[in-house]
Amino acid sequence: MMEIQEENLFEFAEFDEKESEHIAAPRYSYWKSVWRTFIRSKVTVALTIFLIVLISFALIQPLYSGYDPLIAPNINKAENQYLPPSSEHIFGTDNIGNEVWDVVWAGARNSIIVSFVSTAIIMVLGILVGALWGFSKKMDKWMIEVYNVVANVPYLLLAMILSYVLGAGLGPLIFVMTCIDWIYVAYFIRTQVMIIRDREYNLASKCLGTRTFTMIQKNILPYLVSVIVTYISREIPALISYEVFLSYMGLGLGTNYASLGRTISQYKSFMTGYPHLFWIPVLVLAAIAISLYVVGQKLADATDPRTHR
Amino acid sequence: MSATTDREVLLSLKHVEISFDNGGKHKFKAVQDANFDIYKGETFALVGESGSGKTTIGRAIMRINELSDGEITFEGKRISGKLSKQEDTAVIRSIQMIFQDPAASLNERATIEYIISEGLYNFHLYKNEEDRLAKVDRALEEVGLLPEHKSRYPHEFSGGQRQRVGIARALIMEPKLVVADEPISALDVSIRAQVLNLMNKLKNEKSLTYLFIAHDLSVVRFIADRIAVIHLGRIVEIAETEELFAYPIHPYTISLLSAVPMPDPIIEKQREPIVYSETVQEKTGPDYAMREIRPEHYVYCTPEQAKAYAEALDK
Repeated sequence: MMEIQEENLFEFAEFDEKESEHIAAPRYSYWKSVWRTFIRSKVTVALTIFLIVLISFALIQPLYSGYDPLIAPNINKAENQYLPPSSEHIFGTDNIGNEVWDVVWAGARNSIIVSFVSTAIIMVLGILVGALWGFSKKMDKWMIEVYNVVANVPYLLLAMILSYVLGAGLGPLIFVMTCIDWIYVAYFIRTQVMIIRDREYNLASKCLGTRTFTMIQKNILPYLVSVIVTYISREIPALISYEVFLSYMGLGLGTNYASLGRTISQYKSFMTGYPHLFWIPVLVLAAIAISLYVVGQKLADATDPRTHR
Repeated sequence: MSATTDREVLLSLKHVEISFDNGGKHKFKAVQDANFDIYKGETFALVGESGSGKTTIGRAIMRINELSDGEITFEGKRISGKLSKQEDTAVIRSIQMIFQDPAASLNERATIEYIISEGLYNFHLYKNEEDRLAKVDRALEEVGLLPEHKSRYPHEFSGGQRQRVGIARALIMEPKLVVADEPISALDVSIRAQVLNLMNKLKNEKSLTYLFIAHDLSVVRFIADRIAVIHLGRIVEIAETEELFAYPIHPYTISLLSAVPMPDPIIEKQREPIVYSETVQEKTGPDYAMREIRPEHYVYCTPEQAKAYAEALDK
């Protein structure tokens, strides 16, 4: 039997300390992961393409259709009125002989522009004010009072008064839609900021002397991408519907503007006789609003890092 | 052990009181009449149970919590209260903090490069981009991480690695004093020693001074030069480490030491924890003060108690 020498039995296994620190996982990039999560679902991709086609068509078609709500070239041609949808007249024609196709897209164009511009103004203003509001305890004291007052103003009444005072037009309508809504966004962002303001990594930044503005930009807003996208995805369709509502009530765009709301309001009397006149603009509105909402929700999910794989 | 009296005082707390009030009516004093000096080059440990106010003191030094009374001086200059912008910058650069929870103290949406450069950006402590990147690389190497980690995000790292990122972020500012708020209590046992050794190594290389806040006495014994024991917002005993472990005087310190678990089943079975309750000794009163019982060994007590303690020690 061989004699076993103890010192030969064991030897030090060597390992490279540097090597053990190495991370083998592929590089992570937030926006790339958002994109990958977003395109994972085929339904989402299909809906997004549909939405892009729909919106670009609504933005481009009226530029070439030559439709003008103030001119009714076929008003005296009875044979051109109340035609049902056909290959020649895709959405049919209305009571004054206009192509419903042109009317609907011209209306959709204005509704989309108004809601996109309003949402942009509301979000930018709301996020800026909300971030500072959440950070500053001094500002919180008086901002909360401003909020309490403004949030209790009857919105419709204010919209009516403003539209009488300012007149009807794209600018005044956007003002009416944004002048109150931004404070809700600001309040929402303020609450979100307060939740993460005192987390330890923010204390660490404070100890490193980071200024408030940089903190908002680097420590706070990146955490809020997902909730902001969620908010936008609800805000855009809500504002399209709201524009339609205001125009339907006669508070939105004037008669010299095409608008989905005004179109629906004008056609509502033909609901029984010529139902296509009423239902086509309503369905186009629904298609735009619902697909915007669904795509927005999917994007909001994708921007939440918890869904990243 | 050298005499500490001739050493240079770096940080000094004088009659520090920190209170929190909710709406003015109810005032809660988290820290009362805290006095201690931290000498240059030492590791000063602040030990106490949860809620005793040790983190509050650390945060007051970082100027996150405001003092309701007393003052804190750093290198002889007052750093509590309102400071001019210049003084503010100087203090931020000289005092840095290592946080307790590595999972919470790093910005999850920023790369390691940004996290470590943050202090450099704030005071523009670099000549150009290359210089900044070189500084970040050096800081990463000092804590045993790799330059390739710059483009990574915090969630890709282990707890120990994240804590080392936190250390690199603090040390890139070239501070004189580092407040370490329970830097290893949230870490896995297997990597605690690694981080402690790293902190010791960096302390020697950069001649740092540590204020080490902890509740784990075995860790404190390993790293600290002097220890202050804090109980319910009041410092009850200050002594050099070996002195404190050999001659604990204040009943709370004795109770705290008796609670340290031993990795030996026989001793552990015989260990009898001494329960400290305020009925054993009245906690505070007008006669109470920090009194020197043995050289450099201070206890919070009355003159009579001091006499009794000294007599008990003589036996």
